[in-house]
Amino acid sequence: MDNKGKLPLCGMAAGCVNGLFGGGGGMVLVPLLRQWCQVEEKQAFANCVAVIFPCCVISAAVYLLRAPFSLTTALPYLLGGLAGGLVGGKLFPSVPTVWLRRIFAGFLLYGGVRYLL
Amino acid sequence: MTDFLLPLAVGFGTGILSAWGVGGGTLLLLIMTFFLGVDQATAQGINLLYFLPTAGMGLLCHRKNGLLRRDILRRAIPWGIGAAILAAWLATALHTEVLRKPFGIYLLFAGVFTLFGRRR
Repeated sequence: MDNKGKLPLCGMAAGCVNGLFGGGGGMVLVPLLRQWCQVEEKQAFANCVAVIFPCCVISAAVYLLRAPFSLTTALPYLLGGLAGGLVGGKLFPSVPTVWLRRIFAGFLLYGGVRYLL
Repeated sequence: MTDFLLPLAVGFGTGILSAWGVGGGTLLLLIMTFFLGVDQATAQGINLLYFLPTAGMGLLCHRKNGLLRRDILRRAIPWGIGAAILAAWLATALHTEVLRKPFGIYLLFAGVFTLFGRRR
């Protein structure tokens, strides 16, 4: 299967995770893009963000529709995230990719253990 | 005031990681549910919204740096959206406890795979 066929499947996998677990999808998508679709590492991370973005919009809309929550609680996170995203975007080209993977993996493992316990 | 400042700071830190695409949102979810006492459903909803400004900022930079690829986005996004609709619908129909263990297992697999996946 060439990338034409693989990419929709990758997108679906990310969308599933994103909708089901309320965010993310990158954890599934980045490895798929890199290893299955042979995308260069920095591109994989960057394009993953671009794919997850619309998935989050849609998932958020469904969540708000079906299980509304307080937007004032969300506000500080959103503001902080905005500032952090800007700083992160500027720093990204200088971050060594091996650290991207290590940070990533560290959180995944930590999270997995916590959720199972 | 700390009710605002702490989430703000947490959002900032995880925002940097989110722009890098390394699971800042997941970390935020973990911090919210385990340390800030936010309930799972609300945390998931906040997480989804939070990603938008952070990723948006990051994406502007990624685009400026020439990292985005039309061929990937054109093919993956439509299917991603479709899957997200169905999955989000399902998630909001289930009791959150049902998804806890699968989520944990998924995180572990993803972590191990990321660390030890074969490099090309």
